[in-house]
This record gives sequence, C-alpha cells and structure tokens, in this order.
Amino acid sequence: MITSKFEFRSPKDVEEAVRLYREFQGEAVYLSGGTDLVPRMKLGLEKPKAVIDLKRIVPLTTVEDQGDWIRIGPLARIFDLKQNDLVGDYFPALEASLEATSCESLQMRGTIGGNLLQNSRCLFYNQSEFWRRSKGFCLKMGGESCNAVPGAKTCFANYCSDNAPALCTLSAEIELSGPDEVRRLNLEELYTNKADKPFDLQPGEILTAIFVPKKKSIGGYEKLRVRGAIDYPLLSAAFSFVDGTGKLAIGAVGPKPYVVEMKQPSHDAIGEAVEVVLKQVRPVGNTVLDPDYRKRMIPVLAGRLINKVMEGAK
Amino acid sequence: MERFKVKLQLNGEAVELDVNPSETLLETLRDRLELTGAKDGCGLGACGSCTVLLNGLPTRSCIVLTAELDGSEVSTIESLADGTKPAPVQESFMEKGAVQCGFCTPGMILTAKGLLDRNSRPTKEEIIRSISSNLCRCTGYKKIVEAVEAASSTETPKT
Ligand SMILES: Cc1cc2nc3c(=O)[nH]c(=O)nc-3n(C[C@H](O)[C@H](O)[C@H](O)COP(=O)(O)OP(=O)(O)OC[C@H]3O[C@@H](n4cnc5c(N)ncnc54)[C@H](O)[C@@H]3O)c2cc1C
Ligand code: FES
Ligand code: FES
Repeated sequence: MITSKFEFRSPKDVEEAVRLYREFQGEAVYLSGGTDLVPRMKLGLEKPKAVIDLKRIVPLTTVEDQGDWIRIGPLARIFDLKQNDLVGDYFPALEASLEATSCESLQMRGTIGGNLLQNSRCLFYNQSEFWRRSKGFCLKMGGESCNAVPGAKTCFANYCSDNAPALCTLSAEIELSGPDEVRRLNLEELYTNKADKPFDLQPGEILTAIFVPKKKSIGGYEKLRVRGAIDYPLLSAAFSFVDGTGKLAIGAVGPKPYVVEMKQPSHDAIGEAVEVVLKQVRPVGNTVLDPDYRKRMIPVLAGRLINKVMEGAK
Repeated sequence: MERFKVKLQLNGEAVELDVNPSETLLETLRDRLELTGAKDGCGLGACGSCTVLLNGLPTRSCIVLTAELDGSEVSTIESLADGTKPAPVQESFMEKGAVQCGFCTPGMILTAKGLLDRNSRPTKEEIIRSISSNLCRCTGYKKIVEAVEAASSTETPKT
C-alpha cells in the first residue's frame, strides 16, 4: 500500500509537465513505467505531493533515425526497444543489455528513460520504512552515516541500470528539458559520483531524448546475478568497439558506470582497463553477494565479454 | 485529496471508477471490485503473482497505479474461462499438473496467455523466457513449461 497521498496528473506535452512540476513547488515526481518509482513509493522512500505521468506525451515514446544519430525517446519500452532493428543492427551491446534487464513482463512496462534514472540501491536502503526506522536512517535517507559500512560518511549504494553501461560504451548523449533551458550532455556527465544523490539533474528536468551515434559497432553485455531472471545486476560489464576504439563500462558496483577507453582489445589492454576500474571502485557488503567476490569478478566478466565480442568479429 | 476518474475496459465490460490516486491496480481489483484472482505476493513487482493483462501485455498490477490506466483494457484471470468451461491454457495447466499450491497460477496462466496471444507457436526457449517473469516456489517450472507447450498447439490464435 502506498501510504502517502498525492495528486495525479497526465500532461500532454513536456512544457505542461514542467509547468506542473513548478506548480507543486518541486514536490512532484515524474512517472514513466513506474517499475522503479512505485516500489519506492510503497517503501516510503518517495513521498511526493504529485505524480506527473509522462506516458501520454507521445513524442517521448518514439525511436527515430536522424542520419548521424539514432534518437531514442525515453518513454520507449525496454521490450519494444530490444526488438527495434536499428538497435539490433547498430548497437549489439545495448541489445544484449536490454535483453538482460529484469524480466520480460517488467520489460513490457519499464522504459529506457526510467531505466537510466532509476535510483541507486542498497540492501540497507530498499526496505520498508518500519525496517529502516529500526536501524536508524542512513545517509541516503537524510541520516548521519552509512548503515552498510557502519560509521562511514559516504554512501555506497549501487547504480543498477543494466542499460547505462552499454549506452556509455556507445558514447550516448542525453537531452534534458527543464524549466529554464534544454541542455544536451554526454550520458557520463549525468552522474555525480555520489550514491546518495546519483544524478546531476536540475529540479524539474525531464529526460527528453537519448542520442546514440549511428555507427556500426560490435559489442556485448555480461551480467552477474544470482537468478537468471528478474534480478538486478550485482555487477555488469558492457563493451562496444566502434571505429577502431573499444569502450568498456563496469556497472552495478558504485554510483555510476565506470567507463574506460581501450585502443586495442588485447590481453594487456584489457588488464590495464580493468586496473583503471579497480582503482575507482569500492564494493561493500550491501548486496546479496560477497564484496570481494564481486570485485574479483570484474576482470573475469570484462575478459570473458571482450574476448567473446572480438572472437565473434573474426 | 482529489479523487481520480478512470474509464477501463475490464474483462470485456466498460467500467468507470473513482479512485484514490495512490491506489494500485491490484488494490482496485481485489479490494474495490472483489476480483481476487490476481494475488498479492511481494507487492513490489518482484514475483508476478499479481499479473493481469494490460492492453494484452502481462503486467504486474501491484506496481501500476489505477490512475495511470484511463482508456486501457484490463483482463484478469476471471475472464479466461467461458462460463464453467476453462480456456485451453487453463485446461493444459490442469492436465499437465502444473499447479501445486496455486498461488502463482493466475499470474503464470496470464503470462502464458499473453505470450500465446502474440505468438501462437512459441519455442521452448520463448516459453521459458516469458514465464521466468513469474516466481513459482512449488513446481520447479518443468510442468508449467510443458503446460504452455501443450496449450500452444490448442490455443486458438488471436483473430
Ligand atoms: C523486481 C524488479 C527487478 C528489476 N530488475 C532490474 C534489472 O535487472 N535491471 C535494471 O536495470 N532495472 C531493473 N528494475 C528496475 C526497473 O524495472 C527498470 O530500471 C525500468 O527500466 C525503469 O523504468 P520505468 O519506466 O519503470 O521507470 P520509473 O519507475 O517510471 O522511473 C524511474 C525514475 O526515473 C524518473 N523518471 C522516469 N522517467 C523520467 C524522465 N523521462 N525524465 C525525468 N525523470 C524520469 C522517475 O521519477 C523515477 O525516479 C527492476 C525492477 C523491479 C521491480
Ligand atoms: S505481488 Fe506484484 S509482483 Fe509480487
Ligand atoms: S504452484 Fe505454488 S507457487 Fe507455483
């Protein structure tokens, strides 16, 4: 049951949505498929005064070939996108990560925009309010310190989007439309690197487009999870090789995907790229898997993935 | 708090509801309309026991707000049988022994139905991919896969 009370609005265009956000003085949330937001509201992690449903804004749902770019509407559903020929022909890493996302039924409801903007997760945070109160609120709930690493003043929640790493390897850009301006940035610039507030979004900004350079690539995605379906990633690796350059992105181990460029997908280069990632990540005991195991799986997933992609290209 | 008016095509009939914006579809079905076929399992989108068909697609009703659905078509497990005659997919579940405690069954059957309606001859792999959206703690899935396979040859393709 959602115990907080809110008003519900279905604007027909982006301007109206942003205007509504202002009307509720920032105490509103945007809704796409709701597969991240509604569970959060049920757990009392989100208590908005208004829910602004974006699903009736038709231009946000389409996928378009713009010549140099493929423009993906953020409201495109995961299930539809993974069957889109443009995705299959140009972005195999994304096709694989879409397929690996949650499960078929959730893919039919969940959107790519909501997937990118899903909040970061932690075993000590994605819990009922009753459970969380008994432990005392952590940093991400406005408390003083972390509950996963007692006493820590840093939040260690993991950003578990399956598709963000793949889109980073494809050098995707995003368009944000807010009350004051429309801006376009690299997807990688969306992240604050702070798990308690993972996105560098201005109040009221709507993700209105995802642009991926229309270039043929080879690539793939590997996901570590306990069950083969439904589960969020506990670690993930995406790789794309475009125009003679490879990009590796490691996900679900920290507040953002860790992206490394590789000129050559050789054995040594993979080792070096993994080293760069290992220097930045700090897995802790906030998932159902042991943090050391997750860390040691980074080179395993990366190596397995890149070798498979390059083998397939021969 | 404001109420929200929603028009639905529910199990083939037009209904007009006046709901609380924070009400989930599962709450509307079970508590308001007494359609208790959809089960309240995890309540967080993880298990699939609350699955209904929303515009033909298997959907977890526990994480959908009824307010989102104005103009939509919803079918619950209650709509499958023709009077007392079970639908072919229900028959196959019974024949193959794909039901134990039964808690996951309405969701499983609707997920299977959603698949068969868009693909009347799915491969075993496609069946597994679809029904792995739903958790079953009893059967081990083998009988469920067999039941969907059996239904795929008897289910009348969508016209
Ligand atoms: C059981 C379960 C398993 C899951 N497993 C996975 C998994 O394996 N991998 C994975 O990546 N995800 C997983 N998810 C999360 C989720 O289903 C997906 O990430 C989905 O793609 C989210 O999309 P949505 O449209 O439902 O997002 P919503 O819930 O609608 O939105 C997510 C967030 O983004 C904001 N938002 C949405 N759209 C916009 C926009 N256009 N502009 C600005 N803000 C916006 C919302 O306010 C909200 O905060 C799982 C969820 C559940 C319940
Ligand atoms: S009760 Fe809805 S998915 Fe579990
Ligand atoms: S039959 Fe008991 S959960 Fe599936």
